[in-house]
Amino acid sequence: MINTWVWIAWLVTALIALSSTRNPLYLVLILMCLTIVNNAVSRSTHLGNDINSGARLPISPLRLLVMLVVLSALFNAAISHYGETVLFYLPEWLPLIGGAITLEALIYGALNGLVLFGIFWTFMILNQALPSRRLLRLIPRAFYPVAVVTSIAITFVPATVRNFHQIREAQSIRGHRLRGLRDWLPLIMPLMVGGLERALALAEAMTARGFASGGKSGGQFWERTLLLLGTLLVLAGWTLRLTERWFLLGNTMLIAGSVLIFGTLWILGRRSPRTTYARERWSLQDVIIILGMSLVLVFILIPLPFLDRLTLPYEVYPKISLPGFDPLFGVIIIALLLPTLFLHHQSTHSHS
Amino acid sequence: MKNNFKLHQWLSPSIYIVTTVLGLLALIYPFLLPAVISSAAGEARAAEMPLLMTVMLGLSLLVLIYEVQGGAFNTKLVALLGMLVAINAALRFIEVGIPGPGGFSPIFFLIILTGYLFGGRFGFLMGTLTIFVSSIITGGIGPWLPSQMLAAGWVGMSAALLVPIVSRVQSINRHLPSRWERSSEILILAVFGFLWGLLYGLIMNLWSWPYFSGPADQFWLHGVGVYETIQRYTSYYLLTSLVWDLGRGLGTAVLLVAFGLPALRALRRFQRRFTFYSEPVEEVRTSDKAEAAQDASIQVQGRI
Repeated sequence: MINTWVWIAWLVTALIALSSTRNPLYLVLILMCLTIVNNAVSRSTHLGNDINSGARLPISPLRLLVMLVVLSALFNAAISHYGETVLFYLPEWLPLIGGAITLEALIYGALNGLVLFGIFWTFMILNQALPSRRLLRLIPRAFYPVAVVTSIAITFVPATVRNFHQIREAQSIRGHRLRGLRDWLPLIMPLMVGGLERALALAEAMTARGFASGGKSGGQFWERTLLLLGTLLVLAGWTLRLTERWFLLGNTMLIAGSVLIFGTLWILGRRSPRTTYARERWSLQDVIIILGMSLVLVFILIPLPFLDRLTLPYEVYPKISLPGFDPLFGVIIIALLLPTLFLHHQSTHSHS
Repeated sequence: MKNNFKLHQWLSPSIYIVTTVLGLLALIYPFLLPAVISSAAGEARAAEMPLLMTVMLGLSLLVLIYEVQGGAFNTKLVALLGMLVAINAALRFIEVGIPGPGGFSPIFFLIILTGYLFGGRFGFLMGTLTIFVSSIITGGIGPWLPSQMLAAGWVGMSAALLVPIVSRVQSINRHLPSRWERSSEILILAVFGFLWGLLYGLIMNLWSWPYFSGPADQFWLHGVGVYETIQRYTSYYLLTSLVWDLGRGLGTAVLLVAFGLPALRALRRFQRRFTFYSEPVEEVRTSDKAEAAQDASIQVQGRI
């Protein structure tokens, strides 16, 4: 089982890799890696190991890819009239979209669509790989009332859907037919009232078992003041960051504010004890993946003399040209496939 | 001690205001960039913008949720919120079966009603947690989540602002039959739902806009000012989202008109049962105003 935090590290690395390039060759390579990871995750899901309760993809990836690339390309071509390779002209009297439609604008839009699709898809893979209980564990301890509410909601969603179908069947037996919007009322109201009744019963059960969330976690004056101070620092830092002159000071304040907020929440979280029944362990495979991802980040973020970083930001404007390619970057990107090695190992184990 | 008490009173509203301003500024980042930065640094700033926007929205959301969750939440309200979020998340599954136009989603119906009846804090949590829970279940977790949660939270929180408006309208129309009074309440809620349907799309588009748009030097820099950026965003919105958002707004308004009255009646019936609480007798005796406070708390504790 790959550790939850390792999956998060993989996600962050993939997102940074996607955001740092507009080169179509690198983008396609990253998307190919994502495809292979996605297939490995899906295979593991079918074989019924620990990731089997992960969410299904809400939309077909191919459909999403086509939608985002086409929409982005068309929109950019219609709005942006830059570029030297003119395909055709739209009448000037058309507000905003009138003017030259260029190949460069079309390609640039398509590349943006590819990046956006990559971001969407990376998260879709993570959603598949991590079941809801593992995602729920990521809620910081300071937010335990929210975590309790979320747990209740996730637990009762299947029951609510089941109830809806039962109510629908019961109403159908009574001759109820869905012809218009008003006909939904006899379905929605029993569902809502039933849910509210269940909430009362649940509250009584929770009280009887000694649950009391009313510890006024928001009542700590100084901690809340620190949170306010942290937010103000972030706000001021962000504002200063917009100017050339105060950019560094703004960045410092932004980081200081974020550290203050996270630090305060961490301190507050330590006051809320959490019982973990099955603690996730770190294994050798987790360490290998983390090291691989760190290596990818170092190569992408730090300017190294033996890497041609100029191939990362591909410039379409003013005239389209062939993108460059550094094979070393290609090899580094392939490291995103590391989780598949262990997912495959896992699935063959499970199969045997 | 007195000063500390005064500060305590100011702390909560200050956190609400500062976090909301931070969230709003994060969202309007693309509009502010052209006015302040030079073209030399513009490319890099524009590239990091979506990430920074997500981080700032996330921070704003974390602080706001911490502040909101800390209030007067007892076991009953935790259970109530959990169950209402479950119903709303389930409605997202059922929405496939409800005949709705474009971007129609039934989730705003309950978010608006609970914010209106149970107060801004409850409404905010209802909005944010509905999005969060349904994202966990449907696999919709992504960088768009903080802005979705914040926007849905604002829907619920702002619904509480309708209470004085509805009271004012009803006091003006008090000579009219009670049927008209109730209709005016639903009408106000429906208009509110329609407007939020559009506004929600307007906010959510800000996340994807920089990706769909042209390069930074055309969008935010090289003499492209705030006015033109707004113009470009308007065109993006009109071309890609208006019809979709109209579907959401109209759908929410229609749901509120069709089901608002019976749903409000049911929620009001349960409101009393969920929000009454008892105080220890000793505390009542020691306080001068305790008796009055107890009466008041039993009556309208619901407005958290």
